[in-house]
This record gives sequence, structure tokens and C-alpha cells, in this order.
Amino acid sequence: MTRFLVCLLSSVLLSSVLAASPIEGRWRLDRTRSTALDGWHEWDLVLTVTGSRVSLQHDMKWIRTTLSATNTVDTAAPVEIPAFFRVEQRHMALYPAKGGTTAARAAWLDAGRTLRVEADTPIEISQGQATMRLYCEYRLLEGDNALLLIELHNTRPQPLVYRFTRVTETK
Amino acid sequence: MKRLTLLLTALVSLVGLTAPGRAEVPPGGTKAAFVMRWNGDWQVAGGLPEKLLLLSLQGLANRAGPQLYVVHPRDFQWEITEPLFEFYQRKHGVKFTELKTAEEALTLFARDAKGYVVWDPAVPATMNVALTIAGLDDALVVTAAQIPQVEQHGLKPVDDLRGRYTGQTDAQIYADAVTRYWARCTHESIMLMGGHAGAVRQPAVADWGVRQKMFFHDLSGNPARHPEEVALAQKLLSELQPGAIVFGWHSYAKDTEEQWTTLLSGYGLKMEGLHNLPNLSFNCQFGFTPGFKFTNNHHVARDAKLTAEAKVYLSFVQSDSIGIGVWTKPGRGKLPFAWQVTMNWTKFSPAALEYFHESATPNDYFIGGLSGPGYMYPNHIPADRFPLLMKEAREMMAILDEHVMEIMDNSAADGNVGNADLTQETVDRYYAAFPDVIGFINGYGPARTRDLRDTRPMISYDYYIDPRRPRAEVSADLNELIALNATRPYFLLVHVRESNDVNSLVEIVKQLDGPTEVVPLDVFLKLAASKKTYTTRHQDPEDPKHFKGYK
Repeated sequence: MTRFLVCLLSSVLLSSVLAASPIEGRWRLDRTRSTALDGWHEWDLVLTVTGSRVSLQHDMKWIRTTLSATNTVDTAAPVEIPAFFRVEQRHMALYPAKGGTTAARAAWLDAGRTLRVEADTPIEISQGQATMRLYCEYRLLEGDNALLLIELHNTRPQPLVYRFTRVTETK
Repeated sequence: MKRLTLLLTALVSLVGLTAPGRAEVPPGGTKAAFVMRWNGDWQVAGGLPEKLLLLSLQGLANRAGPQLYVVHPRDFQWEITEPLFEFYQRKHGVKFTELKTAEEALTLFARDAKGYVVWDPAVPATMNVALTIAGLDDALVVTAAQIPQVEQHGLKPVDDLRGRYTGQTDAQIYADAVTRYWARCTHESIMLMGGHAGAVRQPAVADWGVRQKMFFHDLSGNPARHPEEVALAQKLLSELQPGAIVFGWHSYAKDTEEQWTTLLSGYGLKMEGLHNLPNLSFNCQFGFTPGFKFTNNHHVARDAKLTAEAKVYLSFVQSDSIGIGVWTKPGRGKLPFAWQVTMNWTKFSPAALEYFHESATPNDYFIGGLSGPGYMYPNHIPADRFPLLMKEAREMMAILDEHVMEIMDNSAADGNVGNADLTQETVDRYYAAFPDVIGFINGYGPARTRDLRDTRPMISYDYYIDPRRPRAEVSADLNELIALNATRPYFLLVHVRESNDVNSLVEIVKQLDGPTEVVPLDVFLKLAASKKTYTTRHQDPEDPKHFKGYK
């Protein structure tokens, strides 16, 4: 019974923290303070938290083309994502492997102010297929009006660093 | 003003007495011609009207012989006008006299015109209708404000478009122009005079269209937005002679390069860009200098056999026509570099090709393209037109001593990203049409069409260098490709966009990981034939297509 109460209390506390999480909302890429995008001109990131599930919606724009894709991760358990969306450097011949499934794990860090997402995603390359391991941290910055995304690949010698600003209704 | 006119008339008479005049260009010896140096003002409300007047004048003056050449500023997209100006003097013995003003040019060449036609800048399409009339009726193209100037030279109105098309759509205007003029225009080519639109227009290729009596238009290739214009464009294309050339470029305001190139390829026609390609009416009249023969910097014989080692092989290619971009940038010659040659220039700009070959370093290697005897999208070329077109391409490649064919089909791409692949049927056709090439390369942005048949590989670009991308990120991108394609050898083909420079590529190469080697394209293809570490792949029908095409 005690164990049940502790679990319940923890769950309630975590839920209350997350429910109040200012990480939710629409965030817009600040291109001047970010790693250069390649093959995209604009990027809005929309974060939504529902219990242990976090959806990461990417609203992309390239010339007149728009695309919206969402990855939903779960901080309570690993997930398999069939159509995982990665913001590619689109002038590289790397493509999501057809029919591939991405294993993703997520966790809240820093008292709910950082979301960590790890993913192993299959990539089509000119030599066939390879797996790219991604490590991403979505960090809420002081003041809660800026979000920093740091993305590491096991195959890339340097991180991709993207800075977003919160989109308010008036923007 | 009258005094100046008299002086210039006297000068013309003097030149007429002392120069060979308007005769054909002799092979050697001294020729007299005139040159103007233009500024970069192409504003409709600024420098455009005078430039348009001069372009129509240039087209008419250059009918009888190469009389008038234009040098553009260094920042003009075609950077070769100054080097080619120097080349004509040095290799063809042309003695140029500079004309400082439009008035001087009119004084010399107004006699080549029979009159003038008035266009209305408030109705943009009238510029193209007026240019069509200029070619057919030997007229200069003027605005209302320029009428007194040309009348001073004794010219009378041939036509006046003011008011005729006010309030009409472009489809209506061009439909009327087709009815009036199309039958009298050449059907060997047509002028797609698009490109810049709005406050700035840059019709620098107009001299060529006027000289050749082409039909000028900027009809849209966008079926979703302008179906009536597309229908009219299709009618015109269907009535061109087989293998005809579409000069110019699509309108930046109406459609995309992908749409128009798809459209014309469907009729087996060839695109020759751009809308601002200057001086063709002059360039077309010079052949190769006596004794000149194209000799490419081959690094391997056609039948050579090489063996790839366990390393990463890179090769760099530029395909945006060598007349623009990297060629004149710093550092050329420091790395092996392949250049896609605009092969049609053997027909209408031989001196430019000779200039490029003359100034090539041992590291510069020329290849054929783009897709055939002109810019076309091969997935859309009708099957019955393909063999004849590629026969023409083979003949030009033989003249240019080229052993590699570059292919590009962006009909399903989204700008320079997305689907740039060839169907298996298209790949089959190329292998049948080019038995003697060392190999094929494909793409503009990255693509994933790959094949190897007998000793001829077909390799697509694995990377495209955007000139605006920070160099550190380019190095990281290339290193990531190298890390992911972990089997050795790895063949990494890189497309270098026109406005990059070779010096920056030298620095990028220094940052690459692993055993890497930059090799000339012919060596690259021979090595790729020796060990196939890449998959065979053609366009998958399920791959997304940004533009679905025409039906």
C-alpha cells in the first residue's frame, strides 16, 4: 500500500510539473542564432505534452512547399515510430529508409525543463542502408521564451544547434 | 546634338572606307566591330528601355555581320563578356571601337532598321510582342519617350502597341500575337523571354531572337495557375520543327524551371538558357580559329582498367554552364574539376567554347550534357525522339572530345532538392544510346539513380554544395556521408553550384576524415566500374513527385 501511495504521489507530482511545463507551445527557429538549415527555409516546432507522451510537430517550409510531420515519444517507455521525421540536410543523399522503423526513447531531465530524445533511425544511403543514432536535448532556457535544441549524430563530427523563440498569439 | 550626329555620320563613313565593313568574318586578318560597355541598371523605370532599344538594334545590326558587342559589368550573371571581348581581339584580330552612348550606336546602325515599334511598360507582355515585330519587320523597340530619338534618325513607326492590349491577360495578348505573327516566325527556335519579372527585367538574349526572327513570349508552364497560357505554349511547341531549341528562360513570376523544362522535353525540344545570355547575335558569326581542335584533358583512355583501393574517392562537377560562376572564381586548377559544357555552343557560340578550352588548366575536364544536345528532362522525352536527339549529342561530344555524359531530370524535384531520379526505361535508353562513354553522372541536387553495365557506371550526386552553406557545415556534411557509407571504396560525387569558388573547396577537402582522394571524373568513373560498392537503383514509382507533369 505504501509503495502504491508513493507511486501515485510521484505520478501526481510529475504530472503537475509537466502540466505546467512551459516547454509546450509553438517555437520558431531563430536562423541567425542556429546552425544553418540546408534545404529548408523555415521551421516551427510545436511541443505538446499529454501524460507521458510528448509530440514533436515539425512545420517546415521550403520555397512554396510546406510539410508538417510529428514524432510522438513516450517518457515512460521506448516507442517504435514507423515514419520518423528527421530535419535533414537535404543536399545530402540520405533518405529515410523505405518501410523502416525508428526506435526512440525519451526522458525528462532537469526537473522537466529538458526533454531528451534518443533515436536509432534507418537511413537509405548510396551503399544500401545504415543506422543513424541521434541524441537530442530540447532545453528550455531561462525566462521560458527560448528553446535550445542540441542534436548529435553518431556519424557527424559536430553538433547541430538550433535556437527557437516562443511564438505568441500575436506573432 | 545635330553636330554630334554629323560627326558620327562622318566617322561611320570613314570606318566604312577603311574597315572590311559588313562582310563575313574572314579566317584571320583584322575585322572592325563596335563595343558598348553597359551598366547593371535593368530597371523597367530606369535603364531597361534604352537597353531594349539597343538589343533590338544589336540584333538587326549583327544580321549582316558581327558589328556590335556588349561588355557587361563583372557582377553580371554571365561573367565571360569581358574575357571573350579580349579573346576576339587576340585570337580573331577584331579591332573594336567603343561606343559610349545609345545615340552613337543609333547613328551607326539605325540604317539597319526600317522603323520602330512602340511597347508599353505598363503592359509587360507588349515588350515581347514588340520584340517579335522587331525581328520580323526590322524595327527598333522603343517606349513613347524614345520616339523623338529614333525619329531623329529617320525612322518611321512600324507598329504601336500602346492601348492595343490594355486590360488583357497574357494569354489573350499572346493568343493575338500568335494569330498575327507566328506563321512568319522561324519554327526552328522560339524565345521564352521570361526570367526577371516586375520592376526589373533582363532580356539580354533579345538580340539573338530579333536576329533570328523568333516568336517572343513568357507563357507560363504552370498548369495549376495558368492553364490557358500552358495550352497556348503547348500549341507553339507542337508546331516547332523536330529538335528545335527553346532559347531564354522561364518567368520567375509565373512558374518554375522544372515545369518549363518538363513541358518542352515532352515535345523532344531543347532548352538553351538563359534569358540574359548576351551577344549571341555576335558570337554566332565566329567559328573556331584555324587549326583549333578540342583536346580534352583525359586522364584515362576509354578502354583503361583501374582498380579502386580501400578509400573514399571524391570528384567535383559544375553543371550550371561554364559561362557563369566558378570558372572565373579564384582557385580554378587547384583541384580536379569537371565542367559540363553547353554543347550547343558549338553551333552558335564557338568562340566561347574555344576560350574555355584555351584557358583550361590540366585539372579542368569537360563533359557533355545536360541530358542530351541541350537542357532536357529525359524521363519526358518521347521514345521516338530520343535516338535522334542522342545521336546529335554524340556528334557534339565527339567534336568536343568528351567521354562522359551528364544527365539531369528535375521534373519531379522541388527546386534543387527532392526526386531527381531516372526511370529504369530512361536508364536503359542511355546505355543503348551511348555505347562509347566512360560512364554517366546524374542529378543536380542529390539523387539515387545508380547502375553499372559492362564498364560504364551511372553515378548520382551524393552531395550538392550550396554556395551559401557555411564551409564548416559542408565539411561536416561530407564527413557524415563518409561515416555512413562505411564500405571502402566509397564513391562520393559532389555537385558544386555555380557561385562557389575552388579555393574554398580546397579548404573543405583538408577537413575530411579518413583516407580520401579527389580524382578527376573520368578516373572516378573508371574506379567506380572496378568495384561496385553502391546499390543499383532507379526511380521508384512510389517516390514522391513534387510536380506531377502535364496531361
